[in-house]
Amino acid sequence: MFSKKMVLIIGGIVLITVNIILLSITSTRYSTFGFGRVAISFVAPFQELVTRSVRFTRGIWEHYFFLVSVSQQNADLKKSLNQAIQENNQWYELELANTRLRNLLHFKKSVTNRVVAAEVIAKDPSAWFKTVIIDKGKSDGLQKGLPVVMPQGIAGQVIEVSDHYSKVMLIIDRNSAVDALVQRTRSRGIIKGASADQCRFEYVLRKHNVQIGDTVVASGFDGVYPKGLRIGRVSDLSQKNSDIFYEITVTPFVDFEKLEEVLVIIRPQVQAFASQQ
Amino acid sequence: VRYCFYIGTSLLLIIIQTTVLAYFSLFNGFYDLLIPFVIFLIICLPLRESLPFILVLGFIMDSLSGSPFGLYLIVYFWLFVSLRWITRYLRVSNKLLLSLFVIGAVLVENVLVTGTLTIFGAGRQFSPQAVKMITLQLLWTVFTGPMFLLALLTIHKRLNNQPNENLS
Repeated sequence: MFSKKMVLIIGGIVLITVNIILLSITSTRYSTFGFGRVAISFVAPFQELVTRSVRFTRGIWEHYFFLVSVSQQNADLKKSLNQAIQENNQWYELELANTRLRNLLHFKKSVTNRVVAAEVIAKDPSAWFKTVIIDKGKSDGLQKGLPVVMPQGIAGQVIEVSDHYSKVMLIIDRNSAVDALVQRTRSRGIIKGASADQCRFEYVLRKHNVQIGDTVVASGFDGVYPKGLRIGRVSDLSQKNSDIFYEITVTPFVDFEKLEEVLVIIRPQVQAFASQQ
Repeated sequence: VRYCFYIGTSLLLIIIQTTVLAYFSLFNGFYDLLIPFVIFLIICLPLRESLPFILVLGFIMDSLSGSPFGLYLIVYFWLFVSLRWITRYLRVSNKLLLSLFVIGAVLVENVLVTGTLTIFGAGRQFSPQAVKMITLQLLWTVFTGPMFLLALLTIHKRLNNQPNENLS
């Protein structure tokens, strides 16, 4: 009925349509339909083995063969430490004052987060996307949607979980979004990944006062990241006459190039005063 | 032995790409190492063996990456279709042609990825950084891709102990 050429053309059109539909579905909401776990479970043990070997070799190099610069570094660190001790004392005083004030206002004691430390064992095979694989999974209590942090600030969010491994989308990934505030002025916006170790801070109204150097923290409104966690610092700011929003670039506090260990918050912090309000 | 070589090489490439290269900032904009391997599979293996293998590779890459699921699967599939079609009319013994295949394939992959991100991604996706990244990947491909493909073909020839029919 149909010639071979016609069947080929129709087949091609059907295939292209299926491709477009598949991509439009998976682009709007990240999902591997459960298949991803299988591949991660299969490949991740090998990645873990290689990563540990590379780190071991690098550790030997850095600890035994690279000691020339350590003396100078030691002097610098001592200087930094003295400054830090002085600052720490100030923070301690502030903390004591904060505790006293909280007690006065009868705020509930905030629930301590349960965190799981995990090691980064692999990075995204594509330069276009910013995800990592960590060596903790379902068996350690991890689940999809949990926040991943570092002492310096927010790192990302768990997007796929297998039994012993998980995939984490970093905040610099194009698909990432974090509800955030400028710490100083409380101006609200959305932190989105720009895929070059920097983020864009969108939807911040120009009527608010934002300056280069301002610290940006999580607002807690997205229900993923606990309120107050540091994200980054405003590194570039511009305003077009026609636009009601700023164009802000934020440099994250976390150095994603050197991401090795992360903390996954298993039970996001319950805000102390949320229940009272 | 041949199948061990294919499976071992693909696993090794995936692991190098996701672990070892990550430790060197020099390789930040490196191209997809599986591209030369996919081309190698298309050239050296018959259809019934190469297609499932390539689809499995696409599936694994989709699972390990944060890309929209199916993107690598689609990229590798269309590479397969286009290269199969090209090799019907052209002899692939020419080294220059093989080099062009690798560079073209990396370009096609990047165009498909950026196209997908621009059309289906949220917000402003195409930026000057994207152009920079594609250029960097192409430069890496020009200098290392063809060599890598030729190395794979040489190993394959030695394993088979006879020149490949397609390549003779």
